[in-house]
Amino acid sequence: MRTGAGAGHEGYYHEAVPYRSDEELLAVVLPFLLGGVSAGEPTVVALGERTATLVRAALPAGSGVTFLPGGDLYARPAVAIRSYQRMLAGYLAEGARQIRIVGEVPPAALGVTWDWWARYESAINHAYDSFPLWSMCAYDTRITPSAVLRDVLRTHPRVVTADGRRPSETYTEPKAYLSEERSPVPDPLQRTPPLVELVDPSPTQARQAIHQVDSGLLPTDELEDLVVAVSEVVTNALRHGRPPVRFRLWVGADRVVVAVSDEGGGPTDPFAGLLPTADGGAGGLGLWITYQSCNHVALHRGQGAFTLRLTAGNPHFTD
Amino acid sequence: MINPRAVVPYGHVCWSYDDPAAFERRARRFLADGLAAGERVWYVAPGPPEPVVERLAGLVGFTEALRRGAALVPGLDSTYPGGVIEPVEQVRRFTAATEEALAAGYTGLRVVADVTPLVRTPAQLRAFARYEHAIDRYMRLRPLAGMCGYHRAALGDRTIAELACLHPVSNVPDVLFRLYACHPGDGAAALAGELDTLNHEMFATALEHADLSPVGGELVMRAGDLRFIDHNCLTRLHDYAGVRDATAVLRTPWTAAARLVELLGLSGVRVEAAR
Repeated sequence: MRTGAGAGHEGYYHEAVPYRSDEELLAVVLPFLLGGVSAGEPTVVALGERTATLVRAALPAGSGVTFLPGGDLYARPAVAIRSYQRMLAGYLAEGARQIRIVGEVPPAALGVTWDWWARYESAINHAYDSFPLWSMCAYDTRITPSAVLRDVLRTHPRVVTADGRRPSETYTEPKAYLSEERSPVPDPLQRTPPLVELVDPSPTQARQAIHQVDSGLLPTDELEDLVVAVSEVVTNALRHGRPPVRFRLWVGADRVVVAVSDEGGGPTDPFAGLLPTADGGAGGLGLWITYQSCNHVALHRGQGAFTLRLTAGNPHFTD
Repeated sequence: MINPRAVVPYGHVCWSYDDPAAFERRARRFLADGLAAGERVWYVAPGPPEPVVERLAGLVGFTEALRRGAALVPGLDSTYPGGVIEPVEQVRRFTAATEEALAAGYTGLRVVADVTPLVRTPAQLRAFARYEHAIDRYMRLRPLAGMCGYHRAALGDRTIAELACLHPVSNVPDVLFRLYACHPGDGAAALAGELDTLNHEMFATALEHADLSPVGGELVMRAGDLRFIDHNCLTRLHDYAGVRDATAVLRTPWTAAARLVELLGLSGVRVEAAR
């Protein structure tokens, strides 16, 4: 039997916690955690360092709550989904009736890379729905931009604050939310002429372009992962998109940015990139690998083209 | 007794041609190198030998080499008997010919063969491709060198590519990867170049043709010159090793392979860092 607010619910019980103060965070989270422990449910904290310290200090010694480093878990959305699904499956295999998690994306994720985290928050309503999970996603309203908060309310079916628990009036089903066009913040590098521009490149030529601009800016692993991602994206564009395929590459002081466009409509699967396509078809696995391999991936449909923008290095640019 | 570590010349070249005269020019250089190195040389060609002998008369030393038995112009049918080649038997023939050359005091045997007529049908191609890898393994160990000529216009790009990728060296520009023999002590085979979604089917075909044998439950691929491998090709390798009840061990400097294997949960592939 599930306990607490998740009692009687099937699948994923997903709540947002927009908190105005540390006291409010604790007021919501502590009963959630202690209730989970006392019910014998796996109870997990995946917060950033500051808030995790705050919560840990407020819990009794030896509380039984598991603390995970939130920064690692929330490095990339597709990585987070994969890690969580694996963890949840493990708890389920051990006989858990409900799993409780409180987590938060890092503050940097509330900036120019928020678009893929908004997609994450929406997609997990589906991705975790096969698990008896009750999770709280904490957002500090003192540092969260209002546009982000609007997305939070649209991607979480429920909201809980110190004042109580309520359904989110603007909640939007994942398939509808994820099908909306969401323009990513343009990277300032994109306002400059690309260092490399190719039309209908073969995957080999695209891979070579990455190697040719390598000046040691990226660590070897990150460079190779970008090569993997570029290869997948160009292959998908050639196979599933409409020509011409346009490849542009910029190199900044702390990042490499690649944009690959074609004149098709892009993937039809709303969960594209965040989850592997079940049958492995239509480039779904390749896009999922791309999401695992880059520090930011932005999807954009506009001006008759579908564009994927990949960033290696530091994706948190400022204008 | 074959010493797997013996240092022997290793030359197995695939030469695709559109213009027979261009092939012959390259063949002449290949043969001239062999004669200079004290090898016995063969120029295997379809049809009667006389026109070939006449054309090669201009190659310095060739006529004299023919006279003393250092050069031969055997027929294609007698060198590769049967409409569809039998790989093991064919390797045995070249083993005997190589040992005979050595016994006669030559440093090895070098063969140029335009084998276009031997790969015209799918059955011929399958058999000959298997032979190509089998003879490649022998060439790694003993002083046999070969230049395999294929007429592109007669065979088509796909057939040429299927054969070229089984050679350590070829002149075929669009073949991005190579699967060829390495010293048995180093692994089941060597893998070089780039393997991606556009050539994963050809990779699977090459693996089938190579018919690699695991040792101690491992199928070690020496991939020091592998520059890229994608998830499709890793999955192909995983499946191929699985059918052979083996774990594929990919020794490569391309570290992303290890992350892809982990990501895809390919339990039948292990990636080891190699330089």
